[in-house]
Amino acid sequence: MMTSLQASQCLERSPLYRRHAGATLGRLGDSLVVSRYGADDEHAQLQRCALIDLCNLPRVGFRGAAAADYLRERGYQLPDAPNRALTQSDGSQVARLSQNEYLLLGSLRDGGARIAAEERNWQFGASANYLLPRQDSHAWLRLTGEHACAVMAKLCGVDLRPAAFGTGAVAQTSAARINVIVINLGDEALPCLQILCDRASANYLWDALLDAMAEFDGRPAGIDALLQR
Amino acid sequence: MKIMPCPLNGPRNISEFTYGGELKQMPDPASCSDAEWADYVFNSDNRAGVVTEWWMHTASSYWFLAERHTVSDQIIRTFDPKELFNRRIEFSAPATETPA
Repeated sequence: MMTSLQASQCLERSPLYRRHAGATLGRLGDSLVVSRYGADDEHAQLQRCALIDLCNLPRVGFRGAAAADYLRERGYQLPDAPNRALTQSDGSQVARLSQNEYLLLGSLRDGGARIAAEERNWQFGASANYLLPRQDSHAWLRLTGEHACAVMAKLCGVDLRPAAFGTGAVAQTSAARINVIVINLGDEALPCLQILCDRASANYLWDALLDAMAEFDGRPAGIDALLQR
Repeated sequence: MKIMPCPLNGPRNISEFTYGGELKQMPDPASCSDAEWADYVFNSDNRAGVVTEWWMHTASSYWFLAERHTVSDQIIRTFDPKELFNRRIEFSAPATETPA
């Protein structure tokens, strides 16, 4: 007798899953993520130049005149100007994309559970606060290491060097000729740029970034090294 | 590359922007004639000189207004549309005609 595979038994797949052949996979909430690509420790790679696929980590947006009040009520600290971002105490991140639009990025610590719950719990009501589903519209990559801004300089017209684009800065711009949101939420210990692009272009941007990273000996990395630092 | 200052995102390459047409005063759709409405929808002034135009920063889907000289292509000023559109306009549904 044939056994049929139920969709509910499958974990969510990244749009980049073909790039992860041979990698060690791990579970993050209800989805799969790359723990590491090889047997080697990836800490040094993160510090130098690494690209991490975070497509399966929850993210969501809210927009409207009442969005700020709604999010504040739910315990989020909001950036005080558009194109700024703040890391929350639980590791989630909130980027303000315009006067009334916010993008929430899940934390690795809880597998994005808090942000996923925000998407589930939102209800359409009388107040001007509208849900913007981002999980299936945007791919999410993280570019880490001391060469991150030099890599981006090859792809993007905006000055992303630390002096002009410090911690908490957001740039909505074009990189490798596609629209991206770049968020600098790294720290002294590890420079990090969060990059979001159209999900259908994820494979293209992944290749374009790796190509730009090659001269800095950049490689993909898994989340194990990120979690254990 | 030509640079346009976006009121939300700052100076950006012109390739990040999409043109949205001239800013035009909308006639009252309930009371204007068909000719006036067609003129509003289809016709452009195409003036030589300083014009006010809609532009969008594509990467952030942000619409704004720009004053541009159409002869020299110099961008004089860009600004948020809230400067001009500062109150909500309600459109009442037109009375439906009963089919004959």
